[in-house]
Amino acid sequence: MTVAAGIGYALIALGPSLSLFVAVISKKPFLILTVLSSTLLWLISLIVLSGIWRAFLPLKSTTWWPFALLIISSVGFQEGLRVLFWKVYKRLEDTLDAFADRVGKPRLFLTDKMQIALAGGLGHGVAHAVFFCLSLLTPAFGPATFYVDRCPQMPFFLISAIIALAFVTIHTFSMVIAFNGYAEGNTTDQYFVPVVHLVAGMVVKSAFARCFCLLSQKFSLLRILFLIVLKNCQLSPETALVVFVWLNVLCHACSF
Amino acid sequence: MESSILDSIGSEIIGVMTPVSLCMLLVVLLVYSLSPSEQSLSGASDPFRTAANLVYLERPDDSSTQKLEGAVLNALVFVILIAIVTFLLVLLYYYNFTNFLKNYVRFSAFFVLGTMGGSIFLSIIQQFSIPVDAFTCFVLLFNFTIVGVLSLFSGGIPILLRQAYMVCMGIIMAAWFTNLPEWTTWALLLALALYDLFAVLAPGGPLKLLVELASSRDEELPALVYEARPTVSENERNRRSGLRFLLGGVSDSGSVELQVVSRDNADGRENHGNPEYSAVNVGTFGNEMHERSSDEVERLPLVGHLRDGFSSSGSSSDRSTSVNRENEIVMEEEMSPLVDMSLSGNNRQQASDSLENSLITDRGIRLGLGDFIFYSVLVGRAAMYDLMTVYACYLAIISGLGCTLILLSVCRRALPALPISITLGVLFYFLTRLLMEPFVVGTTTNLLMF
Repeated sequence: MTVAAGIGYALIALGPSLSLFVAVISKKPFLILTVLSSTLLWLISLIVLSGIWRAFLPLKSTTWWPFALLIISSVGFQEGLRVLFWKVYKRLEDTLDAFADRVGKPRLFLTDKMQIALAGGLGHGVAHAVFFCLSLLTPAFGPATFYVDRCPQMPFFLISAIIALAFVTIHTFSMVIAFNGYAEGNTTDQYFVPVVHLVAGMVVKSAFARCFCLLSQKFSLLRILFLIVLKNCQLSPETALVVFVWLNVLCHACSF
Repeated sequence: MESSILDSIGSEIIGVMTPVSLCMLLVVLLVYSLSPSEQSLSGASDPFRTAANLVYLERPDDSSTQKLEGAVLNALVFVILIAIVTFLLVLLYYYNFTNFLKNYVRFSAFFVLGTMGGSIFLSIIQQFSIPVDAFTCFVLLFNFTIVGVLSLFSGGIPILLRQAYMVCMGIIMAAWFTNLPEWTTWALLLALALYDLFAVLAPGGPLKLLVELASSRDEELPALVYEARPTVSENERNRRSGLRFLLGGVSDSGSVELQVVSRDNADGRENHGNPEYSAVNVGTFGNEMHERSSDEVERLPLVGHLRDGFSSSGSSSDRSTSVNRENEIVMEEEMSPLVDMSLSGNNRQQASDSLENSLITDRGIRLGLGDFIFYSVLVGRAAMYDLMTVYACYLAIISGLGCTLILLSVCRRALPALPISITLGVLFYFLTRLLMEPFVVGTTTNLLMF
């Protein structure tokens, strides 16, 4: 539905990540490189998954379990990749600390480590938004719109944009939580992240939920996630308040 | 609060990746906005014959094997043509026809910006119905072209303008190349990646010969190259005398070194990797990609220490240094030491001035314009299929470029920038198109997202 609507959908999906990028990540070149490499990693994981599942597509099944299997295998693979990412990050941290010692600068601060985790998570989130939402938006720039059978109340583009927004947030913050959990050996945090990812994926799949119900469930998940993040990190009070209020609004708006 | 190393690591890599990304983005936008009009022009009629189309003109109704054979033949002929022209270039350079080469490059830039750029502007004006009259258009185009030609090899032009014109030329040429038919484009890209590998690395390769000739004469290559470092351009003579002064200056006093460092950092550059490129050297530099080799630097102990203090992330030096504390103290100082020292004697001031000049004029990473063009051609061709392939190819090319830059900092000689990126790009394009797209579209339309 026209260029304006197309740009609107793109901004719904990517707006917060764009502002996060401009405010935090664009200032430090290393973080930009981290975003790019984590996006690449996510893309490779998606290609491998699609390679595995290609033989079984298209899934024209009325039962729910092939879809569940798809989601579980995909989420499992991506969580495994997160552990791999963590191992690579540990080695990188050692290299960076050695370099800092050589150059006479202080070692990586906690905020630095969290920023790297944030950049990694943002890379995953942006990759999700681009591949699951933006790449399908090209018809939205034209004169018509598209509805899917599962949710005939809203245009498909709007649904995918909002879900992509939710997933961007989930990916970004779950990387921070996961890295924190791995660093401190906090098993609750370590298991919390894959569980949230899995639940988010399954919730979206649920064929029996109304559209808005679906979305509100997503956002309440996000609220819980955000509270965990707040507990672990030291966000400035203004940022925390803004994000929390925004999440609340979205949640209530979708669940009326 | 002390600044952490995270502030400055990796800025050279970003300095090269940003123009490449910008070029690719603009080519994709051009392809998307202009493609309907181009299809209507050349769809049913004969495709025009170009250097890349000499042997085989692709038509949509040919069989796959015919297209494949034709594309491979086209690519082969094109690569042979390019090789002949490059050998001619080496020959002319060997016999010192440098002025002729420079003027030829200026003429070709004029041609590219004027005619090919002009036709793109005309199609944009047509597509978006921009109300502008012919005379204004001509005057603007003329100005644009002339400033572009002037910015190529002359001094005194701001580096940002030169970089912008390089990117413009890359965009224009890449947009022209996307007019080629599909199979020919892919065959051409792969053939050029192979050719680049041989031309730069194999012992008889023309580009390797060119690089060695240029470095043995300590001259700038008369070619279109993108420089990724903001420098004030000076002419060669000044630089060479500055270098000699640097050699002389080091033996006089180490404080001259430190002065310049403080001045350099007081310029406000966050990147502490600068002085690494202030190498005292006649090292190799090539038109594909290079950075200053700092082998000679290690022989001069003071300069070596300096270099140690500010090695960038890609540096492979393992020397431990004890001079870091000194250098750090110097960095925090203002420009006053420079002022004091310069008042004390003409000799020192001259040395510091030329040092300053030589430091400021030193070049960072350079990337040949052909690399810009063929990256953008790949992404433009991916854009003609789908946005998903665009993003996948973009990531593949950027990661290939990152790998090449890391290799460059390890090997410290001219390296071909095309092979890794193009191979990864082509691989990701076909994987995305064949495997990923049905998967993602299928899951998304069923509202299954993860």
